[in-house]
Amino acid sequence: MNRIRLMLAILAGKTFIIISRLLGNQGSSFPGKIARRIYPAVLMELAAQVKGKIIVITGTNGKTTTSNMVARIINESNATLIHNQSGANMIPGITTAFIEKSGLTGRKKFEYALLETDEAHVPLLLKELNPSLLLITNFFSDQLDRFGELDNIIKKIKAAVNNREIDLLLNADDPLTAHFHDLTSLRRYYFGFTATSYDSYDSQESREGRYCIICGQKLEYQRYHYAGLGKFNCPECGNHNPELNFTGHNLVMASHIELMVDNIKITSPYQGFDNAYNIIAAVATARILGINEQDIQKGIADYQPQAGRMETFYINGRPAVLILVKNPTGLNQSLNTVIQDISLKNLFFALNDNQGDGRDISWIWDADIEVIEEEQHRIKQVVCSGWRSGDMALRVKYAGYPVERIAIKSNLKEAIEHITSLESEVVYLFSTYSALFKCRKILERMSDVRDRKPEAESMRSEG
Amino acid sequence: MAEFIIAHMYPDLMNLYGDRGNLLCLRKRLQWYGYQSYINEISFASKPDYHNVDMIFMGGGSDREVKLIYQDLISKGADLKKAMEDGIPMLFIDSAYQLLGQAYMDADENLIDGLGFFKFSTLRAKNRLTGNIILNSTITGKECTVVGFENHYGCTYFQDDNLQPFGRVLKGFGNNGEDGYEGLIYKNLIGTYLHGPLLPKNPEIADFFIKAMAERRGITVKSGLDDSIEHFAHNQVKDKILARS
Ligand SMILES: [Zn+2]
Repeated sequence: MNRIRLMLAILAGKTFIIISRLLGNQGSSFPGKIARRIYPAVLMELAAQVKGKIIVITGTNGKTTTSNMVARIINESNATLIHNQSGANMIPGITTAFIEKSGLTGRKKFEYALLETDEAHVPLLLKELNPSLLLITNFFSDQLDRFGELDNIIKKIKAAVNNREIDLLLNADDPLTAHFHDLTSLRRYYFGFTATSYDSYDSQESREGRYCIICGQKLEYQRYHYAGLGKFNCPECGNHNPELNFTGHNLVMASHIELMVDNIKITSPYQGFDNAYNIIAAVATARILGINEQDIQKGIADYQPQAGRMETFYINGRPAVLILVKNPTGLNQSLNTVIQDISLKNLFFALNDNQGDGRDISWIWDADIEVIEEEQHRIKQVVCSGWRSGDMALRVKYAGYPVERIAIKSNLKEAIEHITSLESEVVYLFSTYSALFKCRKILERMSDVRDRKPEAESMRSEG
Repeated sequence: MAEFIIAHMYPDLMNLYGDRGNLLCLRKRLQWYGYQSYINEISFASKPDYHNVDMIFMGGGSDREVKLIYQDLISKGADLKKAMEDGIPMLFIDSAYQLLGQAYMDADENLIDGLGFFKFSTLRAKNRLTGNIILNSTITGKECTVVGFENHYGCTYFQDDNLQPFGRVLKGFGNNGEDGYEGLIYKNLIGTYLHGPLLPKNPEIADFFIKAMAERRGITVKSGLDDSIEHFAHNQVKDKILARS
């Protein structure tokens, strides 16, 4: 009986996957939702197809990039894999990913499942399947911290992993992972950095895990690597960074990232300290899975930035770089990367407040936009777009950037056409999630025009 | 050149949802009006002389953070009250606003004493009161709209008919989602659930504080900043909220 319901659920799921593809939706959660309605245990049963390990990746920042890097490494090692898409990281979306890869009877075999999910969904997910490894990239307060919600979520994750055979892979530089200090039943691995030449001794970014979660004292930092991540200790109770199992060192960040993870040399086409953390987390995961050095190196080196993660388009021969932003930490990091580029540049911001962006846009006031003012001699124009173009323009104005060089164009297409027509060596386009794919399409279309033009003209002259 | 000093209460802890944008806004506007300003950070142990500051600001914080500052704030209560009665401009956002009342309820539903400056109390809603909000306010002397974002479990009820709300809710929840009141105004103090932050998109409210600061020093603020971006941003969100009805 259950066998039949399982097969019906798989069949329905697969049908809806095809339909939503036809409708142009990727990574949809809808097929999984339908299948679960037919047979609620569908995910639980399909998870049994994984003969090797189930890995769950969560955390505030970097889970998508990290899990994509791990997926790339696993593919490099020629192992079979189930992996959910970033847009579908709740239980229905994860169910969709399983159904998509499964056969109609649900009896295929896979070596790994790699599941990215939001922190808040980890406890639910752990009710349905048994991962052998849970990677937590970091916990940043973001908007969640209100009402101690982040604390609550961490407590729930802790309760969900306690007394189970789940190994944890944690960020040693993140004070909030100290929540897991007192779990004795689990194996814990830690990754982190030793001193790097990019460290600072005074964090400008406020409020990130700066209080000891054990006793509430203000933490002392010997150095900050990035945001609230660094070498810390608590003067009251002695809470400090745990010992590293995977150590990042010799970090070099330029147009790409180079670093050593223990004795493995890694090169990646990514930029920025946040991605250096994603790399070390991905390498640590692969090491725990027992994947060899060469596959790890190749997987990371070949993994190219995705849509909105510093993707470059060329318009009239000039680069236009698209960057996804969703919280102050990410925006600060991206702005710092942009400021390191000494070219003459124009900036574009698309700020939306749809569900996928977060309805509350006040986070832009927590980001250190003031770097734009300091860099104003190399930033000629700032164009603000999206549903909340006015708020973005205000933020730039109150950062001290000259108001006569700020333009508001709420329509994305007009705004992008305008900013790319202005004089500069490079354009940086920042966009929140719900505007990202529209921006991308507009940029693609514009760069196509440039690529085709010479051809079309030469044909005309020949004709 | 006149210099204004703004006291920022517990800047490390009570600073949620872009609250610091309110200070950025006040400082820039003061600069554009031709005045200098300084932030005086007030944290634990520091015992400031509130009569030597021109304004006092305190932002919101999570339950955890409120617990950390609670004892210290209570110990500063008498001085703060004196400053308020003296007409020092004060802006208290969100959980800082709640603390001005007689009691508030935390996440575990314990009723905790507030500073007791006003007869109001804050209970806890089952569902979060969140979203864009728009008010009608007359605090600047004429009717104006105030826009912002609210995100709170607190349901604040006035227990004294003489208390004046900061504004009347046109769209959104406000103090409790029932009586149509939002926030509180008393002399030059505003307590409110609006963040967003409040002041940049509501330049009339920012100037209400600036004028009050200046008046207490016998200074007349020259009028006329170019607020076209401020008004654009204000109207953009206002149109958006009203269109959703
Ligand atoms: Zn401690």
